[in-house]
Amino acid sequence: MTAAGLSASPRTFRLRANALWLAAPAIAFLVVFFLIPVGRLLFLSIQGDTGSLTAEHYDRLLHTEVYWRILIITFRIAGLTAFFSLLLGYPLAYWLSQLKEQRRNQMLLLVLVPFWTSYLVKAFAWMLLLGNQGVLNRLLGGAGITDSPLPLMYNEFGVIVGMVHAMMPLAVLTMMPVMSGIDTRLSQAAGTLGANGAHRFWMVYFPLSIPGMAAGGLLTFITSLGFFIVPAFLGGRQQTMLAQLIIIQVQELVNWAFAGVLATMLLVSALIACWIYNHLFGLASLSAGSSTADKTSSAWTRRFGFALLEKLAWITSAVTGRFSQGGRGKILPGYVALIVFFLVAPTLMVIPIAFTSSDFLEFPPPGYSTRWFSLYFNSPIWISATVRSFGVAFATAIAATAIGGLAALAIARSRSRFGGVVFAFMLAPMIVPRIVIAVGLFYLFAQMGLVATNLGLVIGHTVLSIPFTFVAIAAVLKGYDWRLDQAAASLGAGRFQVLRLITVPLIRGGVISAFLFAFVTSFDELTIAIFVSGGLKSTLPKQMWDDMILQLNPTLAAVSVVVLVIVTAILLVADRLRR
Amino acid sequence: MTKQNNISLTRRTVLLGAGAALAAPAILRPAYGSTTLTVADPGGPFSPAFRKAFYAPFEKETGMTIANVAREAEPTAQFKSIVETGTFIWDVCTLTLSARMILEEQDLLEPTGVEAADAPGMMKEALFTNFVGTDVYSTIFAYRTDKLKENAPKSWTDFWNVEAFPGRRALRKNPIDTLEQALLADGVPLDDLYPLDLDRAFASLDKIKPHIDVWWTGGAQSTQLLQSGEVDMISGWNARLQAAIDGGAPAELVWNQGLYSVEGWGIPKGNPKADAAREFVKFCTRPEQQALYTSELAYGPTNQKAYDSIDAERAKVLPTAPANISQMRLASEDWWSENRADVTERFNAWLLI
Repeated sequence: MTAAGLSASPRTFRLRANALWLAAPAIAFLVVFFLIPVGRLLFLSIQGDTGSLTAEHYDRLLHTEVYWRILIITFRIAGLTAFFSLLLGYPLAYWLSQLKEQRRNQMLLLVLVPFWTSYLVKAFAWMLLLGNQGVLNRLLGGAGITDSPLPLMYNEFGVIVGMVHAMMPLAVLTMMPVMSGIDTRLSQAAGTLGANGAHRFWMVYFPLSIPGMAAGGLLTFITSLGFFIVPAFLGGRQQTMLAQLIIIQVQELVNWAFAGVLATMLLVSALIACWIYNHLFGLASLSAGSSTADKTSSAWTRRFGFALLEKLAWITSAVTGRFSQGGRGKILPGYVALIVFFLVAPTLMVIPIAFTSSDFLEFPPPGYSTRWFSLYFNSPIWISATVRSFGVAFATAIAATAIGGLAALAIARSRSRFGGVVFAFMLAPMIVPRIVIAVGLFYLFAQMGLVATNLGLVIGHTVLSIPFTFVAIAAVLKGYDWRLDQAAASLGAGRFQVLRLITVPLIRGGVISAFLFAFVTSFDELTIAIFVSGGLKSTLPKQMWDDMILQLNPTLAAVSVVVLVIVTAILLVADRLRR
Repeated sequence: MTKQNNISLTRRTVLLGAGAALAAPAILRPAYGSTTLTVADPGGPFSPAFRKAFYAPFEKETGMTIANVAREAEPTAQFKSIVETGTFIWDVCTLTLSARMILEEQDLLEPTGVEAADAPGMMKEALFTNFVGTDVYSTIFAYRTDKLKENAPKSWTDFWNVEAFPGRRALRKNPIDTLEQALLADGVPLDDLYPLDLDRAFASLDKIKPHIDVWWTGGAQSTQLLQSGEVDMISGWNARLQAAIDGGAPAELVWNQGLYSVEGWGIPKGNPKADAAREFVKFCTRPEQQALYTSELAYGPTNQKAYDSIDAERAKVLPTAPANISQMRLASEDWWSENRADVTERFNAWLLI
């Protein structure tokens, strides 16, 4: 609607600027359902008791050291999570990208397994694995490897394990489409020119995969900034993240002005981090054409980068040279098996727990029964929550992929200087703490009659999903050859035809990733569900949360198993149909 | 604004209609016969227990319908949103005393109309003009009997004594109750706790800090920690710790030097169904109804007369049973509402050092 209004303006014929209008639906959507409600809430932070403007709340922030310390802890945990998600996930993404499509899709199911297990259930699975009396410590102690239990949890290590586990699928799924888009003939060409394996990888392949890493790192880093369940359950006394403090201010102290101050602090520092990140790793390569990025990154950083990569290549070839040809071929599959095991282990543990006869989440279960499944299937509340969650997630995924995808297309095609601003705006819903969005949306929805409606849930979840769909599609578009579009257009295809028949099929991998991200974001979302539903239109995570807030019982495990079975069946059928 | 009010009115009319259809067979009382009240309780084990004790008997007596939803641990933000936007998705909601105080300060609560004379036997701490207590919970500690057999800790001073009582310990990652526990451990008598001597409390906490293995954050987590044997001594809410014991964990509760508090009903200000809500809230003061939830929830009835119909064995694990409540005191909401923001800041800073 806004797009139509804009395109009526006389500047229409400027083709390049024109593309930015594809972002109009996304901008309009986010202005109404994100900027206005959140802005209204953040405005409270500069309002005094009488309604006049004041800086007193910010003054308190400046004079209280603890919030700055917690900001640093938050950044440290998010940074480590992003780093390890990329580092450990890169070989997995590489391995997947080398597979034939059919087999890759099957293998992807394994990588996606942790995606379908709720954050809440995953946190408890890790507690059973890492505890003092946990599975790992009992195994290590039983095998005589350790004398006393290792402190694997209630410290930074535990938090990082839990968070990397949650974030790695996101990193892999963002990197993989970029990697599979890399032209393998380039490596072959380097080979014919005399480069060995290590050099071919570090000097040719790796630089080409950087857009995927940049996108994956950004998504995992920013998503991690907002975590609160994992640090609460797996952390020790020093692992407190800013989102936890904001929740306390909103819900327990009902000091929304100061909550607004803390949210602004997180938002501003996250934006600064993005800006620095952009300069270091050339994130602008995502938002603008690659030529602009080349111009901005100075010659010496490029030279330094290549020198570093060359060193890495030397080291790698020196190390791998020690292995026999056969041994070298087994390193990657062995590593992949290990990482996949890390990803699926907590979920695998949930399956026997779902069949336990005990009233508690215990591993191994003392006996077996199907009582938790019959409790689930006989409960209209659980069933309706499950149906609603699937419906809302599906609608969200479609809406967010369409809106975010068009915006990504706009950014990739546009040379407008507003590209960077639009780019930052698209990411903003990911940075603003969800509780702030949730409270803001409640006030807006109350005025629109959308409180406790499914549509309200879909809108709220779409706001949260747009950053993911936008980045996932922007990353694949980065390597996209626009001459294909031009060729089609010169052969007489209309703009929509080009999009439908050329662009979308070629960037399919990114679109599928985007769809999955949006689906999962909605499917696992708790905060908005709590506020917008008020408990009347319960989703699965909200229902689980109600069930576990006071008393954990194995119904949660049974629900996770049911969800896993349904999702796997859907994905397998979808895979069949595609062939 | 008018337009939106119309929308919500229409929705309410639809709900009313649905309520009427459901309630039609019951014996109708003229005023509220077709009303559906949406009641927000703490969820989990509360929902079935409150249905048995309050919702079902109330429906039967009045012909109204009770639709229960689960609210969050601290529903203050939602409560505020509901009143300020006039979107009354909840008609009655359970609140802690601290939530009551916050909501009262912001003028978000409707009077309940329940007087002490209307509810004989009710504890005076459980009745306010805008709040009616339904249950008493207490913060105490539990220890594993398999680890601390003969040598059982009996006070917070024992909990702090790591030489005499070795074992892994857990405290709540929150200044509320934890500061009181630190002072009790340091020898402050229960009756002289408030106003809290903060410097003394933090000095006492400094001593135990290196020996705390887990700082728990949620009630379910505290049950899990005790049940799995992850820790040997843990502070917590009596019913959450009792849940582990009911599930077979070898553990014992220590009521001595406990702090109790009250949870109960509040009505959002301006609620058009406030009269029906008041009727419901008053119903919940009845001792025979309160006694019914104690078989499933280890919380104490606020009406002491309820113990007339609770068996002696079960009474042992309920906070308001005379033998237990005499060892405890009410946590001071006045002090906390005054100091909570600053103390939380100091506690968070202390944790990081």
